Amino acid sequence: MPKRILDVTINGTRREDAVADSTLLLDYLREQLGLTGTKRGCDGGECGACTVLIDGEPALACITLAARCEGRRVETIESLARSGRMSALQAAFHEKLGTQCGFCTPGMIMASEALLRRDPHPDEAAIRAALGGNICRCTGYVKIIESVQAAAEARE
Amino acid sequence: MDRMHEFRLSRPDSLDEAVALLARDPLARPLAGGTDLVPNLRRGIGAPSVLVDLSGVPGLDAIEAGADGSIAIGAGVTLARVVRDDAIARALPALQQAAASVAGPSHRTAATLGGNLCLDTRCVFYNQSEWWRRANDFCLKHGGDTCHVAPQGTRCHAAYSGDTAAALIALAAEAEVAGPQGSRRVPLERMFVDDGAKHLALGRGEILLRVHVPPQPAGSRNAYRKARPRGAIDFPLAGAAARVALDDGGAIASLRVALTGTNSHPLLLDGTAECVGRPVDEAMLGGLAKRVQKQAKPMRSTVTSSNWRRTVAAVLVRRVVAELAFAPG
Amino acid sequence: MKPGAPGVRGVAVGVRQPLIDGVEKVTGRAKYTADLPAAGALVGAILRSPAAHATIRGIDVSAALAIPGVRAVVTGADCDIAYGVIPIAQNEFPLARERVRYRGEPVAAVAAVDAATARAALDAIVLDFEPLPAYFDDAAARAPDAVLLHANKPGNVEREVDHVFGDPDAGFAAADLVREERFHYAEVTHAMMEPNAALAEWDAERGRLTLHSVTQVPYYVHLALARCLALDESRIRVVKPFVGGGFGHRTETLNFEIVAALLARAAGGTVKLELSREESFLTHRGRPQTDIRMKIGLARDGAITAVDAEIVQRGGAYAGYGLVTILYAGALLHALYRVPASRYRGVRVYANTPPNGAMRGHGSVDARHAFESLLDRMAGELGLDPFAVRRANLIVPPWRTINDLQVNSCGLGECLDIVERASRWRERRGRLPRGRGLGMACSHYVSGSAKPVHWTGEPHAVVQLKLDFDGAVTVLTGASDIGQGSSTLIAQVAAEVLALPLDRFRVFANDSAVTPKDNGSYSSRVSFMVGNAAIRAADALRRELIQAAARKLEVAVEDVEADGETYRVRGTDRELGWKDVVNAALEPSGTLSVKGAWSTPPETQGGKFRGAAVGSSAGFSYAAQVVEVAVDEETGEVRVERVWVAHDCGRAINPLAVEGQVQGSVWMGMGQALGEETRYHDGLHLRANMIDYRIPTIAESPPIETYIVEAPDPNGPFGAKEAGEGALSGFLPALTSAIADATGIALNELPATPEHLLAAIVDRRRAAQLAAAKAARAAGGA
Repeated sequence: MPKRILDVTINGTRREDAVADSTLLLDYLREQLGLTGTKRGCDGGECGACTVLIDGEPALACITLAARCEGRRVETIESLARSGRMSALQAAFHEKLGTQCGFCTPGMIMASEALLRRDPHPDEAAIRAALGGNICRCTGYVKIIESVQAAAEARE
Repeated sequence: MDRMHEFRLSRPDSLDEAVALLARDPLARPLAGGTDLVPNLRRGIGAPSVLVDLSGVPGLDAIEAGADGSIAIGAGVTLARVVRDDAIARALPALQQAAASVAGPSHRTAATLGGNLCLDTRCVFYNQSEWWRRANDFCLKHGGDTCHVAPQGTRCHAAYSGDTAAALIALAAEAEVAGPQGSRRVPLERMFVDDGAKHLALGRGEILLRVHVPPQPAGSRNAYRKARPRGAIDFPLAGAAARVALDDGGAIASLRVALTGTNSHPLLLDGTAECVGRPVDEAMLGGLAKRVQKQAKPMRSTVTSSNWRRTVAAVLVRRVVAELAFAPG
Repeated sequence: MKPGAPGVRGVAVGVRQPLIDGVEKVTGRAKYTADLPAAGALVGAILRSPAAHATIRGIDVSAALAIPGVRAVVTGADCDIAYGVIPIAQNEFPLARERVRYRGEPVAAVAAVDAATARAALDAIVLDFEPLPAYFDDAAARAPDAVLLHANKPGNVEREVDHVFGDPDAGFAAADLVREERFHYAEVTHAMMEPNAALAEWDAERGRLTLHSVTQVPYYVHLALARCLALDESRIRVVKPFVGGGFGHRTETLNFEIVAALLARAAGGTVKLELSREESFLTHRGRPQTDIRMKIGLARDGAITAVDAEIVQRGGAYAGYGLVTILYAGALLHALYRVPASRYRGVRVYANTPPNGAMRGHGSVDARHAFESLLDRMAGELGLDPFAVRRANLIVPPWRTINDLQVNSCGLGECLDIVERASRWRERRGRLPRGRGLGMACSHYVSGSAKPVHWTGEPHAVVQLKLDFDGAVTVLTGASDIGQGSSTLIAQVAAEVLALPLDRFRVFANDSAVTPKDNGSYSSRVSFMVGNAAIRAADALRRELIQAAARKLEVAVEDVEADGETYRVRGTDRELGWKDVVNAALEPSGTLSVKGAWSTPPETQGGKFRGAAVGSSAGFSYAAQVVEVAVDEETGEVRVERVWVAHDCGRAINPLAVEGQVQGSVWMGMGQALGEETRYHDGLHLRANMIDYRIPTIAESPPIETYIVEAPDPNGPFGAKEAGEGALSGFLPALTSAIADATGIALNELPATPEHLLAAIVDRRRAAQLAAAKAARAAGGA
């Protein structure tokens, strides 16, 4: 199978790895790098559980070819904590119970991170719009919205 | 389980190279955002030898506003950028609304305008796993000889489900296509054919480069409305775009209406010229809705009934035209 | 204070406590089954039946075995022992034998060095099937000449229930109003976010198996593995890592778990088996397609005089939990309101679709919609407000239902008051603009089934506490936290009893090699049963610590008082700090290990009739909710604007988690009510993906105003009852009642998709036009 050397920055660290052309970013992160915080929840592009940031924009790792991340910056859930301390978003999802089973949570938080970087004070409609592609089966979303709102306040 | 085949990824950095790669290998497929192609590949739909990544082709990622009010949008512009662009928001709200309604935010950062326009048609008998399709003897669109939507017929009834096409057709956009024989421009609606198995009128090696949206008629307004099961993610069960201009007396001066999600191609509604000169009233809107009911031909290609899709297409058209006609300002 | 008595000090109970394993979830450190390191593991894959019903003439795996890198291929020939969660209804094999009964049923599996090789091996397996007639709905399956799916089940009926309590005929005769209607419900499924996965390690030298899986019921998985692999239970270890939801999908052993183990043993190694989303849908076990005939008698004042229900469920190809589901549906017609007489006929039918099973609100949901809808309409006929008719039938505990369910607490009245006020029902109901509507309904659920599936006579729940030199209290529990927060709750309960800070505790859960047996997370049993066991365990530890302090301080036990981490001689300043009291406690024999056990009181275990155990519970939760909708009458689209829900959970041990559970329940009810449904094309699952299986997105999900009502249950831990299921079933009838308020249309079929609702609107318009034309003709003729 054709492979290439992928030059990519993952969570702030530049690396070079051999990947097959058909390797999905999701599999590269999970299988090759052991970054299992990014979840596989569906058979491709349906649920948002694998949301990561590519050059600061939210993207679905399960339908992104790793080889196309050449020269780009990829951020996963593992990058948000600093010196082991949760980011404001992570703390808010934890304290407000924006997470129950936790499986959608990494994707939900990364999509929220992209939102807050672009719009530090989103109203409820903006939160709903930004998280539209992220399915949660536990919370009914009520506490997810509260979590993002709390994080926006805490980040001020 | 995942059925994605091994393939080679080519990342040409010139248009000529991209065209040559696609022209040379019948199994090569162009790759834009990949938000529809990759899920299909993961389901074992198609086994391309090469994916020709168009993201490195220069000039495809530009939005150029002309002094005359025209706007040219490169095929490689992401839908997220289309949504955020001020010029588009001002002049082409239909396009902005259509782009904003595609899938979810994390798709739109990757998905491109060109990819959305060239979106493969969809069907419940097609967008399934390899195991599923094999158990169902495959289908006319891929690997089989029967259309399970209409087993007596001879064509594929998969539905075209790109949102932006309807908007751009209503806006009278043209497609600029490049191929081995050079480039050409066609009215966007003529880039499509009403055949679910081959809905793009593109030759081998041809690539959509950009769309040219002409200056919109003075005083005209445009908008896109979409019916879908949920508030996000979903493809349109029916989508309608309209461009309406009224004369000083409040009668229709010009009207273009386009539909998506209902047929195997995005549809420029026929006969809207007959509305010209008529006031926007119940009779006119009712007549328009009847045209939609007649020309929209949804089949049982979705889990939602075709009857509902046809009915709602007509409702959307009535509403969007009325909204545009009666909007303040 | 009597441990577990409703009075609490509020050290930990009643505190809005973030999940004790929440940090792992928000940082991505939480390891779910697919995340477990498994270097060198083989990749497992399952070949699934393309046929809905067929005789297996042969399965040729020779070509697959010949592929380099293929380490094992297993088929039905490798396991001839049937399994199933109900001991008297075990008729499923991990890989089909002799016959396949649904499209997607596992028929063979491979373990190979990588995914591509596994795929190639699946493609190389040759199936030789002889088709049989297949049945996709209950009527076809029950036809007199239908081929039997299971030879011992005539008429393809898995279980028939005929229950009569009291004198329903007399009840109907005495009623002022009797109405009967028919209802139809689509099949729905769990669609938990985490796809199915299992990691099986076979230790060939020692003949031992370790399985990590996504289960809610590690103990039942343990039993099934022992059974199907013919292994002594002591040779098996089952571990449940983080689990991404379940909602009932994982309350029985699932075929892929046994298949992973069979593959690991056949390959002599470790096999990781990750199912796709489609395969997870095909494993199913959701709520069955259901038809209901419901008849209610009411007195003029709204009092129920009798109920008569007939419920037919299409249960899919295998037994699973089926007989429990069909019994639940009848049993839980009771215990929400006073019902003086009832007749129930339930029929569970086999069909060639993926097997149904337990899903949140198990058995109660569709029946509750039919009941509440009919009650609502009848109230209208009697000129009663929907709230009034519910209030006319409130249970005042202690109350024994006619089917022998024991209700010891009921806060439904308060729930009604709250949502009536919060929604401004009296001012707004019936007065909203056209296309807007308000509806309400009530619901309830069990806090655990009073008799477990495997009735072995042991306690229902056991919790162990371990105290060692480090001064930390380790809670050992088999209760499966699948996101509902059970580990947090158990720690809170123990912390409350011991009056220790929560961070003195660490919860170690779900490793059969270490943690006590637990029946698992289903039927909302954990808070109630494991909570009670945790109270007893903590109390045992408290007594040990007091005794140790008394020894050390050389006073009588009665003279020692515990004040958090300080143990003091009452009325003096002679005291021991935590470290000292721990040392004193360990002095006689080292590491301290205590346990607490709990079983449901006999009077809550139901009556003596056949099937009486199902529905019996030591405590019932109650909920009332109001739903506001906007209906687009041109498209049939319904938008849920807002929900007000009040839930009686007895005592909110963790109010934060209670709110989360109630909101999740209401919202899942909304999914079923508005758009979720499975559907099959000749038995092929048409919606086995997360686009066509329409789980609501955040974009259209409504605000849910959540109120907690606490009517403490005398048997509950600190009075607590369940919070994770009871509010679900009320959403469905509240929604259709709101749609009726908005449009005048009474929907007897769910989901209320736009196409269903629009069809009803169009039908009504046509009928009105017809009537008008008729009237015009009659007037013209006069």
